[in-house]
Amino acid sequence: MTDAAAIEHTVVTILSDVLHESVEDLRNHPVLAAYDWDSLSSLEALAQLESQLGVTLDLRSYQAARRISDLVDLVQNAGASTVGQR
Amino acid sequence: MSDPSFLTGALRNAVEGNTTPAADVRVALAQLSDPGLARKLGRLLANLQPADGGLPPVTLSVLATCTVGPFEPLLRTSLVAVGALPTISVADYGTFEFSLASGAFAADGEPDVLACLMEESFFLPSDWTGGDIDGVTDHLQARFAEFRSLVDSVTRRSSATLVLHTLPLPVEVRETFLSWRARAALAAAWSRLNADLLGLAAEHRQVLVVDLVSELADQPFGARDARLHRYADLPYTDGALHVLARQVARVVQARMGLSRKVLALDLDNTLWGGVLGEVGATGVELGGLYPGGCYLNLQRSARRLREQGVILVLASKNDAAIVEDALSSHPEMLLRSEAFSVTAVNWSPKADNLRQAAETLSLSTGSFVFMDDSAFERGQVASELPEVALVAADGDPAHLVASLLAPGWFDVLDLTETDRERPALYRTRALRTEFEGGFGTSEDYLQALAIELKVEPVSPFGVARVAQLAARTNQFNLTGIRFDESRTAAMASDPGHLVASLSVSDRFGDEGVVGALWVECGRETWRVLNMVLSCRVLSRGIELAAIDWLATSASEAGASTLQGSFVPSAKNGAAAGFYKRAGFTPADSDGTFTLDLRDGWDPAPSWITQPNRERATR
Repeated sequence: MTDAAAIEHTVVTILSDVLHESVEDLRNHPVLAAYDWDSLSSLEALAQLESQLGVTLDLRSYQAARRISDLVDLVQNAGASTVGQR
Repeated sequence: MSDPSFLTGALRNAVEGNTTPAADVRVALAQLSDPGLARKLGRLLANLQPADGGLPPVTLSVLATCTVGPFEPLLRTSLVAVGALPTISVADYGTFEFSLASGAFAADGEPDVLACLMEESFFLPSDWTGGDIDGVTDHLQARFAEFRSLVDSVTRRSSATLVLHTLPLPVEVRETFLSWRARAALAAAWSRLNADLLGLAAEHRQVLVVDLVSELADQPFGARDARLHRYADLPYTDGALHVLARQVARVVQARMGLSRKVLALDLDNTLWGGVLGEVGATGVELGGLYPGGCYLNLQRSARRLREQGVILVLASKNDAAIVEDALSSHPEMLLRSEAFSVTAVNWSPKADNLRQAAETLSLSTGSFVFMDDSAFERGQVASELPEVALVAADGDPAHLVASLLAPGWFDVLDLTETDRERPALYRTRALRTEFEGGFGTSEDYLQALAIELKVEPVSPFGVARVAQLAARTNQFNLTGIRFDESRTAAMASDPGHLVASLSVSDRFGDEGVVGALWVECGRETWRVLNMVLSCRVLSRGIELAAIDWLATSASEAGASTLQGSFVPSAKNGAAAGFYKRAGFTPADSDGTFTLDLRDGWDPAPSWITQPNRERATR
């Protein structure tokens, strides 16, 4: 699995866990608004993403995410910048 | 044991199968350090409805000055971990003061526990002039006075246990004061606020206060994520909420009598450094500088536990003679032989020794905590006695004391005289068990014990002990109704009720108050609401003598019937059949038993004397 695929997998697994949806459904319908994506569930996902992937996300960009791929990009960018700072 | 898939799988099975999560699963839950997982498991546990009645139920209301959010699932996980089945209701956002003042938190029935989640803005002014320390200090005092009157009104109208906590002072507030002197004054005012909150526990028996500030200081993570605070009014991180949830669960554990009573300790590399059989008593590390000082500190901590009622058991694979010699001769030894209520120094498997110790003490192995440096020994105990809580004593000995104390296995709400005397009582009890071997029949033995029973209406001084017995007694507990201190006190002073305490002594010593009766005294019928009897004094006919006393009192008061009921639980098999043995007649359907006092009743067992019989005068 490439890094990008691994990150995508982690993001979808966390969302599946928080939103009680199957990984398959999430991949087929990747628009977050289709699910129970409210302030509490999105913040729970935020906590999980940050602790499992070792990143810190900008909450404004995070809230702006509409699709799962937006979250994957966000995490990847945050990861890249974290690595760049070391 | 605490790996996520094991816990998730085990709890999912329990939820889907309507069963109680196994004891080892609950012990692993109690030691869970990942708040994300704890939160997830808490959501899963919302559907836990064990049909086997293995977890006693508890109802909680959560009131918050902010968003409750993850606190609810974290609380649920922590409560299941301590052995309770929680029903949690969360008050609507923004109703904190209203709900406290109006009693709205009890809209769906009085909760057992009212847990408050608070943050600093509740006590701070909404704004202040930069550097105005006097204005802020005055406001804090005024807000606390208002809060105190809210707490007063709750304690007057409700019997729920109110759990509060101290509040950290965040950087955003501290650092707006530029002068060092003003910042010191602010810290002093804030510390006073926290001290005042803690002081509410001394003012009201129903109020307990968690020192969240000190708990958070021990954690490696931050208490606040400013993004969550600003975006969702979540003032605490999941980690901080998990810390608070565990503290609240510990209060509930103590309140429900689910705490552990026995600490079984290994010797080599636990109570001292090194292996006694190899280095001899003069060679073990105990006292002085590191690492010997760490072991001495553990002994000191264990001794303090013992002084507060925890029963110590020695469980060591060693030769008894050299252990005896080391315990008595080493000049630094704090825990000598007599500190241990049961000593099991031999080469048997430790699980066997713990099982035997439990039998000797008439306690269940579920009330044991076992501390050992050997992963093998802990593993052997875990596989045979999964209900025993384990404390790992391996690794750096500097951590020994915190490893033992931090989980809070032995918490009680209040310490009574009986608690302090318990280790000595159980030591006598262990000696008494040895004495039991030499008699032909148990009746001969009971006659020789010279048991004296004193049943009397409980005095205001006895209420705390009686309520504690109600909370802690599982085996001989007829209905499982745990009358707490405030209800017991109310019943004791009500002419329509009677609360009586049972004290027992025998030739080995005074056991103190070991049982209690809660009775509704009607004109015609006296109804036993519950009777509890400590497992220390079971199998001696004490309960029959108590019923004789009660029947006599009821009859003298003009009643014609004594009534009671038995509600079976997972643990009270010891009390099943009691009413029949006492001569009561079962009703056909509803589990009640009746004794017609006009027909007379069985006298108390001949081996029990009741000096100074004092009737309940109604």
